Amino acid sequence: MSSLDHDKTAVAELATRTHCPYCAFQCGMVMTHGGETSPLPDIQPDPGFPVNRGQMCIKGFSAGAMLNSDERITQPMIRGKTGVWQKIAWEDALDFCAEQLQSIRKSTGPDSVAVFGSGALTNEKAYLLGKFARVALQTPHIDYNGRYCMASAAGAQNRAFGVDRGLPFPVSDIAQAKTIILWGANSADTLPPIMQWFQQQQENGGRLIVVDPRVSATAQMAQLHLPLVPGSDLALANGLLYLAIEEDLLDWDFIAQRTEGFEALQGRISQYHPALVEKLTGISLRQLRKTVHWLAQSESTMVLSGRGVEQQSKGVDNVQAMINLTLALGKMGKPFSGYGCLTGQGNGQGGREHGQKADQLPGYRLIEDEEDRQAVAKIWGVDPESLPRKGKSAVELIDHLGPEGIRGLLVMGSNLAVASPNLNKVEARLESLDFLVVCDAFFNETSDKGHLFLPTYQWAEEEGTMTNLEGRVILRRQTQLPPDGPRSDLWILAELGKRLGFEEAFYFDSTEAVFDELGQATSGARADYHGITYEKIDQADGVFWPCPNVEHPGTPRMFLEKFAFPNGRARFVPVEHRPPAECPSQEFPLWLTTGRYREHYNSGAQTRMVPRLEQAQPEPRIQIHPRLARSLSITDESWVMAESPRGQGVFRAWLSSDVRHDTVFVPFHWGGMQAVNRLTIPALDPTSRMPEFKVCAVRITPLSEAIAQQWINRTEGEN
Amino acid sequence: MAKKQLIIVGNGMAGGRLLDELLQRQALDQYEITVFGEERTGCYNRIMLSKVLGGACESTITLKTTQWYEEQGIRLIAGKKVTEFQTEAHQIVTESGEIYPYDQLVIATGSYAFIPPIPGTYLEDRSLKPGVFAFRTLEDCARMRAASEEGRHAVVIGGGLLGLEAAKGLADLGLDTTLLHIADGLMERQLDTPAGTQLARTIEALGIKVIMPAMTQQVLGDDRVTGIQLKDGPEIPCDLLVVACGVRPRVEVAKASGLPVNRAILVDDQLAVQETPDVFAVGECCEHRGVCYGIVSPIWEQVRVLAEVLTGTDPEAIFEGIKVYTRLKVAGVEVASMGLVHPEVDEDEVVQIAEARRGIYRKMIIREDRLVGAQFVGNADAAASILQYLERGDLLPTNRIDLLCSDEARGMGTNADREICNCNRVNESTIKQSIASGCDSIAAIGNRTAAGTGCGSCQGELARLLQAAGKARRPEPAPAV
Repeated sequence: MSSLDHDKTAVAELATRTHCPYCAFQCGMVMTHGGETSPLPDIQPDPGFPVNRGQMCIKGFSAGAMLNSDERITQPMIRGKTGVWQKIAWEDALDFCAEQLQSIRKSTGPDSVAVFGSGALTNEKAYLLGKFARVALQTPHIDYNGRYCMASAAGAQNRAFGVDRGLPFPVSDIAQAKTIILWGANSADTLPPIMQWFQQQQENGGRLIVVDPRVSATAQMAQLHLPLVPGSDLALANGLLYLAIEEDLLDWDFIAQRTEGFEALQGRISQYHPALVEKLTGISLRQLRKTVHWLAQSESTMVLSGRGVEQQSKGVDNVQAMINLTLALGKMGKPFSGYGCLTGQGNGQGGREHGQKADQLPGYRLIEDEEDRQAVAKIWGVDPESLPRKGKSAVELIDHLGPEGIRGLLVMGSNLAVASPNLNKVEARLESLDFLVVCDAFFNETSDKGHLFLPTYQWAEEEGTMTNLEGRVILRRQTQLPPDGPRSDLWILAELGKRLGFEEAFYFDSTEAVFDELGQATSGARADYHGITYEKIDQADGVFWPCPNVEHPGTPRMFLEKFAFPNGRARFVPVEHRPPAECPSQEFPLWLTTGRYREHYNSGAQTRMVPRLEQAQPEPRIQIHPRLARSLSITDESWVMAESPRGQGVFRAWLSSDVRHDTVFVPFHWGGMQAVNRLTIPALDPTSRMPEFKVCAVRITPLSEAIAQQWINRTEGEN
Repeated sequence: MAKKQLIIVGNGMAGGRLLDELLQRQALDQYEITVFGEERTGCYNRIMLSKVLGGACESTITLKTTQWYEEQGIRLIAGKKVTEFQTEAHQIVTESGEIYPYDQLVIATGSYAFIPPIPGTYLEDRSLKPGVFAFRTLEDCARMRAASEEGRHAVVIGGGLLGLEAAKGLADLGLDTTLLHIADGLMERQLDTPAGTQLARTIEALGIKVIMPAMTQQVLGDDRVTGIQLKDGPEIPCDLLVVACGVRPRVEVAKASGLPVNRAILVDDQLAVQETPDVFAVGECCEHRGVCYGIVSPIWEQVRVLAEVLTGTDPEAIFEGIKVYTRLKVAGVEVASMGLVHPEVDEDEVVQIAEARRGIYRKMIIREDRLVGAQFVGNADAAASILQYLERGDLLPTNRIDLLCSDEARGMGTNADREICNCNRVNESTIKQSIASGCDSIAAIGNRTAAGTGCGSCQGELARLLQAAGKARRPEPAPAV
């Protein structure tokens, strides 16, 4: 058995400086223990960590509550014949799990088992999970919830720059940018501590433009807000480029020296006349002109995207249009300028680099590329031919769950039964599985459909690296002793690997040993971690990849001299507006868009268990323009049924003129009848396979208190 | 299996766009595509012709180079006229008598510039008198530009979209320009008389002389134009005469071939030509439910539907017509028009705001609490958002004027009292009050309101509010821990 089992760690060996369990900002935090009397650690922001510089949001401050939660599952659980969870010993649980996976593989082939990972997993876990799928299970089907989050920006960046790193610069550069356009990003709620950099930018006299159908907390800070029609981002970007061409605001030297493909783009752009763009976006020509003047005429300009543009069935093209604009204005690869994506999940960056995606191997290597296959197979000590090919992406993978397709599923660190689109169908698919095993610290909506539950350590109870939204690889340390019972995800994979006949391949005597193998596997790849060590991370507050060797200091700023294609040039790609997969109709006349609250994180599986957060935002509310509400006799705080062609949800009304009159907004952190993803549409981007979480058509009707409660309770009872 | 033959006659904007839509749907897997274009170039953006008049290089408005067709594997036959559609035999005939069979035929012949029958327009050989120009093709532009020497006199007949653009283009080239228009107000198809008059006044202020209503009786000059004679009016000398009296669908070949033609080729909701199997028409040469469209967005929608139908990606796709939105900017004068120009029934309500001195005119036509038309001259800031009401048919606000407000005042984010401290639920107004009543530091605000004493993440915002109130020089750093 490997020693990835931290039960025996002494308190004196525990670190105090670590990182937050939530978003991609990965705030540095300092944890101190109250001693015997206080069960909860005290958590304060780390003033010495250069990303959050002593700031943190309410989620980070209250993150300790989860560690001692009464809801914690500390023993493996198996669902008995009656459907009730029963305790089971680890050895038996692991044997059972391996047997189940093995018997499914034997009867219907390795393709009938799958793995679903998470952007919350450390680099080491993401890496080992990918290896587990390809080597131990030999299935092509592994994907992760980052597919719901980063895949579109990644797709566009790979196409335009040849590599995908969230931000090509450190966040501190934000403070120096003269103009920033934040596109479909509500950072004030989703990445609160990043706002200090925007505030500093404002104090330095910089301008901020926010593109969002809502007057979000972020938009309130901006000098210019563009409340566009949901799903019209691409038309907006192309329309801005049209005006830039018309007013001769392009950087021809940059286009000539550092890019290719502009000519093919120019003709297409000439069709985005303002009349069309105004019609599609609802943004006035005056605002369009002001925007393009600010972007083009500033000494430095950043163009930053969030999930608003990315989570669409044309997310890749949306981001491409933003990149086309950035390149044409010559605002890439220059100080305090450039396109960047604000990654969402804690390890959304690292999680997508190391082989959790259906089409990728560690270091962004491609599973269909023969050289890449050979490089990784060599490190893994297997025949390249034995590596599976490209598998199904998240939504398609879920679609194929069932007797005729994927019959066994291992889920690690993801609550896909809240986070996926069109949940009614997802639930049905999960229920049709022969075997579902969930590795997590708490029961959640996904494990509700499971057969086996393997309890894991929480973030503070083990170490591991994460890669934040800047591409900075950081080290989360163990600051807390785990309770008796749970185990590390790495240990679970090692034990299952052993049972499946791959003892050596999954044997590691430390987490760092996994990281070392990851480094070797990525050596020479686009996301090269080879030169990164835990020691270097410690010394330098993190190391930015690519970092090819131990002497290399890492790469805080990318593209200063060349882009990651053989000829060093960035690529323009012509992209065209197309309507969302579903547009409002007579029957479903409104746009629905989804998003987040500051107090909650993703599916809420963690944050809904923190009393302080639950008190601050106890439920999802549907944001409705007062004029729309009045026409439907909906009053503030009253109950509303929202319906799409796929499903229904019950929410309390929040009347607010900060949303377009034709659009309603609901956050997605809740399950049951308050899960807005029952309504969202599983239309996928053709390249990134990202579902269209941000746009679909709905209708809303008022509900009485009694009926609303009936709806909500009925589903809870069923669970 | 052999691929089917798809022939597209016409290589203008509709034809070009149709190719894009077809390629996006992998049409080349099932079709061999042949495109006939009358002009020798690839496909260009006609809407931007005034750029070329202004001196821009042709390539800036080129949508598709001839090379593009080759790269895509599409056969382009440029510079050859198609003279007959033999729909029974499923073939077309060119001017040189060549025959091309088709499985599917798309007619996208667009329109031609209408030259009204004014005596003296033509020479005896039926060619346009030298100095007289239409404003329709790249070649028109090149010839017009060549003739446009500074200081010369130009007359433009027609005060619609094209005429205005031409007049502006000529004035920019330094010509002394006069615009003649037959109606009481400019752009009468998009604007009512007060709006059209307002626009004329503004255009005149820019140095273009506008005469309306003006009926041209005769084009003067023997072997080249020397001026025009107005009916009941003076003679206006000119060296250039631009005729911009609108366009007419190019349907002569369709008509001669026996296709059903009214004003244009009659098509159904799938753009199929009535009673003629396997023949479709799109763009300015087709008439759908009695309407011929002349602007981009409905035609885009038409070609999208046609591509769905032709490739079978959505065999049920239909085009149901679209509300027209016209947007124009001539010399900084903003003009926008959508939906109805005039009220149609007694119940129609009109909201009108005219600010003559400022050159601003705004009007909405409302039927049963819904917008059915609107016009803007001088300030069209509200047009883009109002258009959404027209498109969606949403109920209007009780106070209609709200819709005409600037972006800030239009109801989104109006002085929302936002919550600054989420932990203790303290709003901006409360914090501002505390600052006004003497709190001069984050700590003092915290003592008074509890803001910033929870997680602390709002302290940067508090510092900004202090700074805005002149109470702090620099934001304080976050407290050390």
